[in-house]
Amino acid sequence: MDKTQRIIFYILTLIAGAAWVSLSVQPGPVAAADPAPQAGFPAPDFSLKTPEGETYTLSDLRGSAVLVNMWATWCPPCQAEMPAIEKVYNEYRSEGFIVLAVDQTYQDNPLDLAPFIEEYNLTIPILLDETGDTARAYQARSLPSSYFINRYGIITEIVIGGPMSESLLRIRVEEALK
Amino acid sequence: MLEAFQNLFAPPRHMLFLVAAAWLGLTLSERRAERHTISKDDLNNLVFFGLLAFVLGGRLVSVLQNIAIFAQKPLDIFSINANLFDSPGAFAFALLAAAVYGQRSQIGFWNSLDALTPFFAVFAVGLGLSHLADGTIHGTPTSAPWGIQFQDETTHPVSHYEVLASLLTLGWVWRFGQNPRPGIIFLSFAALTSASQILLQAFYPVPSLLLGQYRNGQVFAWAALLLCFILIESRLGSESRTG
Repeated sequence: MDKTQRIIFYILTLIAGAAWVSLSVQPGPVAAADPAPQAGFPAPDFSLKTPEGETYTLSDLRGSAVLVNMWATWCPPCQAEMPAIEKVYNEYRSEGFIVLAVDQTYQDNPLDLAPFIEEYNLTIPILLDETGDTARAYQARSLPSSYFINRYGIITEIVIGGPMSESLLRIRVEEALK
Repeated sequence: MLEAFQNLFAPPRHMLFLVAAAWLGLTLSERRAERHTISKDDLNNLVFFGLLAFVLGGRLVSVLQNIAIFAQKPLDIFSINANLFDSPGAFAFALLAAAVYGQRSQIGFWNSLDALTPFFAVFAVGLGLSHLADGTIHGTPTSAPWGIQFQDETTHPVSHYEVLASLLTLGWVWRFGQNPRPGIIFLSFAALTSASQILLQAFYPVPSLLLGQYRNGQVFAWAALLLCFILIESRLGSESRTG
């Protein structure tokens, strides 16, 4: 290709690219419409009960920063990060931070829950995902899986695996509280 | 089948694709290094120092950005959390390390980029496979017969598209024979990657838009493509002037 042919090729390619960009404009941000378990998107809503029967609905917590932590009693990294989650929860709860610790009850032994809560002195709300619907909505295939959600209900960060360090928790909580 | 694949390589096992891609990419780059007047040792050192600076720099910048938080528990600086990482900082450190090593060893800038292009291209395939495995990226709704089910909708299989595009780019890069003009192989790879991003970003739902309607990724890819064309022409021009 000589120089003239190359320049024509560049111009045509750039025009085609610009036309495709214009054709694929999005009518508006998806943040208001399509929940997805992906950073930058609204968190899928759910309602789950605690072992005591109290119901928590994620959308009712709009205005608070939320950490949705998917865990199970038999999962070693989940066990390892619980003290850090509890500590950071107590540090930031007065600023509007809440933890929803969603036990994967459908693949856990419910009888192990009470000893676990007692062993780690947990005050964070423990929710029971008895059907696995919440885990599926969040596509949680590994435990622990943690979703930081800001005051507007948008997922700001997903941490898959663990244990999360206290510093990581503090950084992500402060971001979600902004 | 996709579900079985995603269960097998569920996070953090999806990172295996990145490790495998780095190894394979470096092996392929080594095989062609001498075509670009770079010894295998220099190439290996360049990659080693670049990756080392990438890892250390990414964590260092993350720590510096949150110094007050790390001061409360300094040992967390060494925690295994991959999320405590600043990607732009990591790239900046990697580029700096590679530039310093390249200058000290008198390796040509464009020659080293050409030699590393197979590494970049294979790594892009590995990145696509890791996205496919972690399953956290979803496409816009579609009625196309190859759409995949996500929750209640059929959506574009954007991670499949990403893998396909990176494989095609790798094939294109690999078919380049002797490099007549330093920089052209790398710039062709960069141009193809930018062009594929202009095309594919249309199928990603995005939470934030430029000027209220344009997808950031597409606009940046278009600008990158323009830059690639300018640099390709500049490289070809400089060769014809000197040659």
